[in-house]
Amino acid sequence: MSYNTPETLKYTKEHEWVSLENDTALVGITDFAQSQLGDIVFIELPEVGSDVKQGGTFGVVESIKSVSDLFSPLDGEVIEVNDSLEDAPESCNNSPYDSWIIKIKVSNPSQVDELLDSSSYQNLCQ
Amino acid sequence: MNKTILFDEHVSIGAKMVPFAGFEMPVQYSSVKEEAIAVRNKVGVFDVSHMGEFFVEGKEAHQFVDYIITNDFIGAALNKAVYSPLCREDGTIVDDLIAYKLAENKALICVNAANIQKDWDWISQFSNKFECNLTNQSDDYSLLAIQGPESSKLMKDIGINLGEDFEYYSAAYNTFENSEVIVARTGYTGEDGFEVFCKNNKIISLWKKVLAAGATPCGLASRDVLRLEVCYPLYGHELSDDWTPLDAALKWTVKSDKKEFVGKNTLGELKPKLRLIKLKLDKGIPREGYPILDANEKEVGKVTSGTMSVALGSGICLGLVERELFPEDKKFFVSIRNKKYEAIYCTKPFVTGGHK
Repeated sequence: MSYNTPETLKYTKEHEWVSLENDTALVGITDFAQSQLGDIVFIELPEVGSDVKQGGTFGVVESIKSVSDLFSPLDGEVIEVNDSLEDAPESCNNSPYDSWIIKIKVSNPSQVDELLDSSSYQNLCQ
Repeated sequence: MNKTILFDEHVSIGAKMVPFAGFEMPVQYSSVKEEAIAVRNKVGVFDVSHMGEFFVEGKEAHQFVDYIITNDFIGAALNKAVYSPLCREDGTIVDDLIAYKLAENKALICVNAANIQKDWDWISQFSNKFECNLTNQSDDYSLLAIQGPESSKLMKDIGINLGEDFEYYSAAYNTFENSEVIVARTGYTGEDGFEVFCKNNKIISLWKKVLAAGATPCGLASRDVLRLEVCYPLYGHELSDDWTPLDAALKWTVKSDKKEFVGKNTLGELKPKLRLIKLKLDKGIPREGYPILDANEKEVGKVTSGTMSVALGSGICLGLVERELFPEDKKFFVSIRNKKYEAIYCTKPFVTGGHK
């Protein structure tokens, strides 16, 4: 089975995707992640203004049967959360790359180099 | 790790397999949601061949079963099934089971996969008190649960004739493709449905025919949602070696007026410590082990099983609370990741299944 991994995005080993624009980053979960989780029924979002650490948890995604932590790809501050996921968490299943979860103001841009590109991430999902 | 005969069939249609009770079992095929909806509205099929089958034969087969379980087996009519806990003398629960009265001198006991050896060790010690022969045929039998409002039509379509008056909790020998099978109108979903016990050599043919007749293959995950929506207890969650049927809202299965059964002496007078409750959350999903709080944020119990209800679209759970701490105002909260979520105390099952 092959999973969609757009080339314009960066990825983490924990199956988050990152879309970078200047010093802000949108973060969501990958096609592989949503496929492994199955029907997503709840996403716990962080508070706007909270700080996140690279590799630290920033929220929780729940499928019918499982509870999984969400890990931040970078250090930064949460400047926006996608409230629409509270009523429609299933959009992370239906269109994972349109369903960003948090927007962060990146505080340590050099960490971007540690993220995976599309082909390395694709290998990880084999 | 054990595999059911249908292992390759599951893998071939894309099932996600997980270890469960010592078996590699399908947890889901396409989507837990779609599987649960299929069972509520149409018909689904579960491979539950991991479950255990004990046969009891002989003049006192029925007396033996009646003696080891708390519910009334002697009083049940021929070709009826009886749900019951299996208890020790001190009232604690070894397992829960369904006993089927198949013939004047024959009964089938179906037990949880995880407890086959434990149950066998427990009940075989009593068999010499009765004129009967007890055999563990778990390795020879496979079992399908065909569940949902369209299940009786499906049974007809695959050539199993149920006959007249085969109502809910009936059980009888039948035939499928000229082979003997045992068909019971029982299940674990709250819907009308059937369980078909057949010898291993017929199970692939039966499975394929059931799928071809339109049943949605369903895994353990949807099975757990479905049973929780109708508030059926699950051993290892609501029932355990440490608790009695009275803790888990199963007083109705303890027939203290029966002449003699294992546990009678204690269960009659026992004051239960726990009380099984049903909670529904508008927000948040309760999970096993989460603390249940009262209005003063004092912990009064724990969630024993919790999930997102597919039928209701909200979090539901069963939980055991200390009777001494049970709040009179019936106001409860569930603590989810150290945040408290209001929970509505429910007196009826979350979903009313369609079985009659």
